[in-house]
Amino acid sequence: MRVSYDWLKDYIDPGISAEKLAEILTLSGVEVGAVEVFGCDLPQVVAGEIVAMEPHPGRSNLTLVDTNIGDQTLKIVCGAKNMQVGDKVPTAKPGAILPGNRIIEETDIHGVTSPGMLCSAQELGLELGSEEEILILDQTSKIGQSVDQLLGFGDQVIELELTPDRSDCLSMLGVAHEVAALTGRAVKMPPMSVSESGEALPGIFKVAIADSKLCPRYTARAVDNLTIGKSPLWMQLRLLKAGIRPINNVVDITNYVMWEFGQPLHAFDLELLKSSEIVVRRAEESEKIVTLDGMERKLTAEALVITDGKRPVALAGVMGGEDTEINDATRKVLLEAAVFNPTSIRRTARCYNLPSEASQRFEKGVNPEAVIWSQDRAAFLMHELAGGQVLKGLVDQNEAPCQESKVEIDPLKINQVLGLELSKDLVIELLSRLGFKVKETGAGTLDITVPLRRSDITIAEDIIEEVARLYGYDKIPVTLPRGELLGNVKSYEEKVHDLIRDILTSCGYHECITYSFINPAALSSLRFPDEDSRLNPIPVQNPFSEEQAVMRTTLLPGLLKTVQHNYSHRELNQLLFELGAVFEARALPLEDLPQEKMKLGLAVTGQVPDPNWVNPSREADFFEIKGVLEALFKRLQITEVVFTQEAMPFSHPARCALIKLEGETLGYVGQLHPDVAEAWEIDQPVTVCEIDLQLLAEKANLVPRVEPLPRFPAAKRDLALVVSKDIPAEKLEESIRQAGGDLISQVKLFDLYEGKQIPAGKLSLAYSITFRTDEKTLTEAEINQAQENIEKALFDLGAVLRS
Amino acid sequence: MLNKLKELEDEARSKIEGVKDLEELKSVKVQYLGKKGKLTGVLRSLGSVPAEERPVIGQKANALRQELERAIELREQSLQDLQRQEKWEQERIDVTLPGRPAAIGQRHPLTMIIDEIKEIFTGLGFQLAYGPDIETDYYNFEALNIPADHPARDMQDSFYITDQYLLRTHTSPVQIRSMERQAPNLPVRIICLGKVYRRDDDATHSPMFHQCEGLVVDRDITFADLKGTLDLFAREMFGPDQRVRFRPSFFPFTEPSAEVDISCIMCGGKGCRTCSYTGWLEILGSGMVHPRVLEVSGYNPREVTGFAFGMGVERIAMLKYGIGDLRLFFSNDLRFLKQFS
Repeated sequence: MRVSYDWLKDYIDPGISAEKLAEILTLSGVEVGAVEVFGCDLPQVVAGEIVAMEPHPGRSNLTLVDTNIGDQTLKIVCGAKNMQVGDKVPTAKPGAILPGNRIIEETDIHGVTSPGMLCSAQELGLELGSEEEILILDQTSKIGQSVDQLLGFGDQVIELELTPDRSDCLSMLGVAHEVAALTGRAVKMPPMSVSESGEALPGIFKVAIADSKLCPRYTARAVDNLTIGKSPLWMQLRLLKAGIRPINNVVDITNYVMWEFGQPLHAFDLELLKSSEIVVRRAEESEKIVTLDGMERKLTAEALVITDGKRPVALAGVMGGEDTEINDATRKVLLEAAVFNPTSIRRTARCYNLPSEASQRFEKGVNPEAVIWSQDRAAFLMHELAGGQVLKGLVDQNEAPCQESKVEIDPLKINQVLGLELSKDLVIELLSRLGFKVKETGAGTLDITVPLRRSDITIAEDIIEEVARLYGYDKIPVTLPRGELLGNVKSYEEKVHDLIRDILTSCGYHECITYSFINPAALSSLRFPDEDSRLNPIPVQNPFSEEQAVMRTTLLPGLLKTVQHNYSHRELNQLLFELGAVFEARALPLEDLPQEKMKLGLAVTGQVPDPNWVNPSREADFFEIKGVLEALFKRLQITEVVFTQEAMPFSHPARCALIKLEGETLGYVGQLHPDVAEAWEIDQPVTVCEIDLQLLAEKANLVPRVEPLPRFPAAKRDLALVVSKDIPAEKLEESIRQAGGDLISQVKLFDLYEGKQIPAGKLSLAYSITFRTDEKTLTEAEINQAQENIEKALFDLGAVLRS
Repeated sequence: MLNKLKELEDEARSKIEGVKDLEELKSVKVQYLGKKGKLTGVLRSLGSVPAEERPVIGQKANALRQELERAIELREQSLQDLQRQEKWEQERIDVTLPGRPAAIGQRHPLTMIIDEIKEIFTGLGFQLAYGPDIETDYYNFEALNIPADHPARDMQDSFYITDQYLLRTHTSPVQIRSMERQAPNLPVRIICLGKVYRRDDDATHSPMFHQCEGLVVDRDITFADLKGTLDLFAREMFGPDQRVRFRPSFFPFTEPSAEVDISCIMCGGKGCRTCSYTGWLEILGSGMVHPRVLEVSGYNPREVTGFAFGMGVERIAMLKYGIGDLRLFFSNDLRFLKQFS
């Protein structure tokens, strides 16, 4: 809502500057987005009167215009045709500066020196008239007066950003009432006493409402003998400040009055209506109307239409029809002021993509009190400005008369909720400033009658807000809630997640957050077999794009997209993780809330650490992630984890493991299949992992248990062996531990070699074995015996010891 | 004979001084003091010296031997010192070389802000609460006093799954869920952090973003308590000098409602581009829980009151870290993320 400060003064004198007004409005809940200055300075542009005109000696399309600007008369060359002797026109003297920094100088125009220029509205920065027309000023303009003053340039336009409940401020008078409440000053109503004559409209014109739910009230007035023309310049300028394009006097008046009262009006050419009746009804299927914008619209039964008994003449509350539009020949007008159902208007405006100032007001609800005021005010203006004769009476079909709402409230409750100690008198005073009628009851409570324009006030809490905002939110004290202390502020899962973030970030991993919705094509790229539930994601009904069309069933697409993004930006070395939910429907389409399962996803690629002068880099591969997982499992005290060789649909066939925890599937870790990586445009190996965080949290134990430090020394022996590649490392370690028995405290693989000195199909492994018991210091003989047992066990597996 | 000794001494001393390393010194030692050494030779040849001169010569020769041994020892010491100095010199490092890189990752900047918010509110005794991302129309709208066709639904263009289910447009449904779970017990004091979704996508809007929701329900909770809580939050989050401003506003699920501004982080309130020259930045919406919301959640609005607030985590992060483009959060560009490690 754009509020011209000068215009507002017609209804209330705020007594403060526009800036100050903007500030107090903002702090009272009517937020001001901006305060704009209307127009600009026009130095050396003054009002001149045309005293004579003669043709240009050389050019027939030009005129020499003698213009009296007070101290002198200038002979100005002009190309326009719309002016007459006696007109007052904006005259730019040499040295004048027009918008766009256009400097006017004395100029020779085809042999005649022109000491200045007559200006069109557009040359003065106004979106009015055509470029070829000189702006004709009001006859009352004083010769020699500066034009920026005459046009009201420098007025400030306050732009309101209203919350949906404050539709009362979608009108100048509504804003005036708000300003009155804030400043204590009085509101003046504009003149609207109509002098009627001629026939009584109710006797000759009928209104019928077929659907009173969608149209509770419809009123009509008629104005005869109008002359269509431009509305006065002051009205055009005010409409421009409001952001409305002036059209002609009748249409401008309907818009002007809408701005004043918030009540949209529509004017029909009465002589173009095909009967003496307005019928308001739902449209019939496949009925058509050509709206004012020239578009033919097919209607449905959803839409409410105004008909002349024969055909739709307007899309109710949204846009009028072209057939009955006000035109230059219009002499007789039927004025409509109605109340429509907000939801119906909203649907229709959406459906035809026709949001307008009118529909916006109907959607939020108009003030029923203003219906007749608007009719009278518009009729008054049509009489004054268009020479119209207002017919007697008004047709008022009112199916649902409104009543002012009443709210009862205990002043104590106000103080209790706000944490204040306001006196009853102050509360009454604040509410009275809003125009609310307050009556004290015997029981100490207040009976409050709320004016119809404030339809947002219905319950005691609404009254509390009104009191608070008028008193000033800033004056309410600052305290902290008191009450019982609560335990368990952080859930166990939350703690597990925090710990995982700690461990992964300290291992050099970067946390990502990716969208919960993904492209279904990303799932197909992962080659899930048809029966895999991950291939059946929950679709979003109205996504922005295919990229965000379904809810993710795995964190992989988001992580891979991230890897791809960074890879394409030459970040070749990446260690990434994400904690997030995946969505699994029990049935599609959804019948109940889906399961949202928390997962941990990891993705690594390139070298780690980043190549540098001192630390050797290694490939970020399967073992990179496995190592981090092992550290994680250790800290969470999860021991029963088994990695088994098993390919995933999207993994390298021989470089992937299924991770099981006490027999349940915890997740997987594996290198991405080279073809899948290629499909994602990542030209180097990527290893990914996904872990079920619910299961992990369930089995985790966050509290470390401490063993006493060993009392007896340990002995270390190294063991190198050559063994067939077919024997998994896990099996070797198991044999060592079994054979070594209780004496073994640690088995560590410290070297693995495959190559020249080793026969094909074999591996060379080196273990460091720590022997220790808690009972005593082990003797050389005992250790030798254990080692011998181990060597024997390994030998049984086909291993050959290397000295 | 004495002259010969003197000559020997001079010769030996100059050789000891002249040696370049321990090896040479050793051979000098052998040359003079060894079994076949020159001084040893002198002592051996004492027999040819007249008997009366022998004690004097013998004494002198022994004294010389001791002196030379001492000189060699000293020389050895200094040579050893020199050698160690040389060795250490060779161990010199270039301290201007870059250090061994410590590979440290980092939490996502939004997680960092979320952690900070959690810390502030759990410190005030709030419990963490959760709710699903896919919500029912009831929890997301109906229960929050936003019936179908309510104008407030204008403000939220939602992603729907079916007519009944949608991606939550705010974390406020968690208010209802938390109260339902706990009613009629008091107090309710929760904070919820999570993802929310709206059909918006540009430099200042993302179709997915994060919100923080707070709710307190108890006897005698006041608007002043709401102000105090958020005032404290703003100062904890943005610094002790933050000023906080409460403006009346509208939310269907609170009444009275308040929009909360903080003094502009960039200009301190003087007015700049970031704050559109107002000196203030809007950071959150809040209010007293609407009686209908209390009622549908199982509390009697005549007996209890409450306040609630909601804020965008991205907005807080953008202000706190000076981030200009919201989309950076979800691109997970390492050039962006690594600035937080």
